Amino acid sequence: MATTQTPADLASASGPVSPGSLLISLVPLQQDAFDTTLSNLALAFPGETVLVATPDAAPQSSSGSPLRLISYALTAVSATPWVLTAADFLNTYKLAQENRASACVLLGAEAQSLHPEAIRALARSAQQADLTLAHYDMGPREGLVNSAILYPVTRALFSTRPRYPLAIDLGLSLRMAERLAAAAQRFTAAGQNDAILWPLDEAASVNYSIAEVEVGPRTFLQPVSADINSLLAQIASSLFADIDAKAAFWQRARGIQPTPPITQTTPITDPPDIAAMLEAFRLAYANLHDIWSLVLPPNSLLGLKKLSLMQPENFRMPDNLWARIVYDFILAFRLRTINRGHLLGALTPLYLAWVASHLILVSSGTLPEKHIQDLAIAFETDKPYLVSRWRWPDRFNP
Amino acid sequence: MWQQIELALRQSAHRVLVKLASFFPGLIALLLAVVILTAIGAGLAILLRRVLTAAKFDERLAHNAIAPISDWSPANSPTALIARVAFWACFLIGCFIGISAFDAAYPGDSQISNIIIPYLTHSIGAVLLLIAGTVIARFLERSVLIGAVNAKLQYARILSMGIKWLVLVLTAAMVLDHLQIGGTVVELAFGILFGGIVLTLALAVGLGSRDIVSRSLERSADLRSTIDPIPGDPDYRPATPSETLRHF
Repeated sequence: MATTQTPADLASASGPVSPGSLLISLVPLQQDAFDTTLSNLALAFPGETVLVATPDAAPQSSSGSPLRLISYALTAVSATPWVLTAADFLNTYKLAQENRASACVLLGAEAQSLHPEAIRALARSAQQADLTLAHYDMGPREGLVNSAILYPVTRALFSTRPRYPLAIDLGLSLRMAERLAAAAQRFTAAGQNDAILWPLDEAASVNYSIAEVEVGPRTFLQPVSADINSLLAQIASSLFADIDAKAAFWQRARGIQPTPPITQTTPITDPPDIAAMLEAFRLAYANLHDIWSLVLPPNSLLGLKKLSLMQPENFRMPDNLWARIVYDFILAFRLRTINRGHLLGALTPLYLAWVASHLILVSSGTLPEKHIQDLAIAFETDKPYLVSRWRWPDRFNP
Repeated sequence: MWQQIELALRQSAHRVLVKLASFFPGLIALLLAVVILTAIGAGLAILLRRVLTAAKFDERLAHNAIAPISDWSPANSPTALIARVAFWACFLIGCFIGISAFDAAYPGDSQISNIIIPYLTHSIGAVLLLIAGTVIARFLERSVLIGAVNAKLQYARILSMGIKWLVLVLTAAMVLDHLQIGGTVVELAFGILFGGIVLTLALAVGLGSRDIVSRSLERSADLRSTIDPIPGDPDYRPATPSETLRHF
């Protein structure tokens, strides 16, 4: 993935580019994927001049092609190519500034699976709103961390609607790109090119306009490491740190988001295998109780005790219990009640319990999206608890 | 006879008074140095806390630093960390000055000077060792416990307790050795205890793993029995593509 580069690294485009053009920024792609993406871009923008920035070797486009290819040199390969990183945002802004683009579209890994219509919709929205996030069609067993933590927490705290806060396809106005580049600069200056940014939180905290565009189904590059512990810790710590940094904004933010129309997703055909997840939760309950008791109030511990005694067919984690658990972990992260690595490690079995509960509920006929929306409402309802404990952490908490 | 006893008593009382007269000023100097430097440290900590809070040091650091110093601060903020470091630095300086003053109160060839002063220095080192060992033991215990639970090891608690006690026993042995208490008895006891804990852990893990290995073998045998049948066999069942969970 791209990292810091200088204008000298830029290859000249194949023709003159008018100021105010759109910049499409790509991450490294395989050759065939790159060719498909270029074809899709040509279909998405017929007769329009579009700048396409790529770290791959850019072929010379034909004189009649509306795509103007810009290549830039990679200085390091990203360890997390499945998500957009600080270096991507910084490079995009630099390229947009160099080429006087009016708006940018960032397409993440596996961009060749995006439909041309979806890319066009992102680009159109990027020219009107400061931040445009993609809304993907996902199955009931996909994007579970997003459904369990990222979406409900972001929606409740920042009063935003987009369903995928960690979307890998984004549309940015130039001022939004500049703001994200400034945020990214702090990470890249410290050598953390792979740091994760939260564009939705950033836009909400400065009242920039936010839009969401349906992009339909898409292929996602999966993390190389299948270790859920380290991945969850990486994502959750980044989000919790961002929440900590923007506390002054989200404590003031008010408003309950209207529930979007619930669309029918692919139902679960075969019963999910939740035995391993329940076993992990019960083992954790037997061993991590002491650590959880440092983070969670007695009421939540009682809820977990009841949960540990439930039969697999009736296993159901109440939405308000999960919301309270996540909020208490955010608070413990802020207060450093225990070492942050330990804290996030202790969250994993609880997350697996939520996943098991969600899958059981969905397999019993509940629409997955309805459950996610109910969960988001539970987070919104419980937000005063987080605000109160954030301000007065030592107050009695039963 | 009586006069000689009286003389001997008077001389010994005189020696005791002389010793006390030279001991108390040294002790008072030590205590004074510690108390004064501790008071200075407390004042400095309060001053630093106020100045840094007024300058919004925590917020500035959170905005500008990516790997914030606050990661190392105890529970609160970088401001609290700096204030505490200042306080404890003053306290330690007070201890060193006090010990020097105590040392200066005695002639160089004095028995107390030769025994107590090095022992005081060793005691401070031993206390620091004890604190560090306890902190490391608790950290490792939690790390191992959480890691083992997330790896679904049934013997996670035994493993973490074993690690904790290994570190604590090692710490205790180092502290006693540092204080020069026990001599070879400590080394011997440490060797026996350390070896015993390692053996216990090895047995616990080995016996616990026996079930895991047998379950793993059973699972692979079951898997083979479902894979082996070929189309046309009565046992043959077409493989259903099971959806995998995608957390991201």
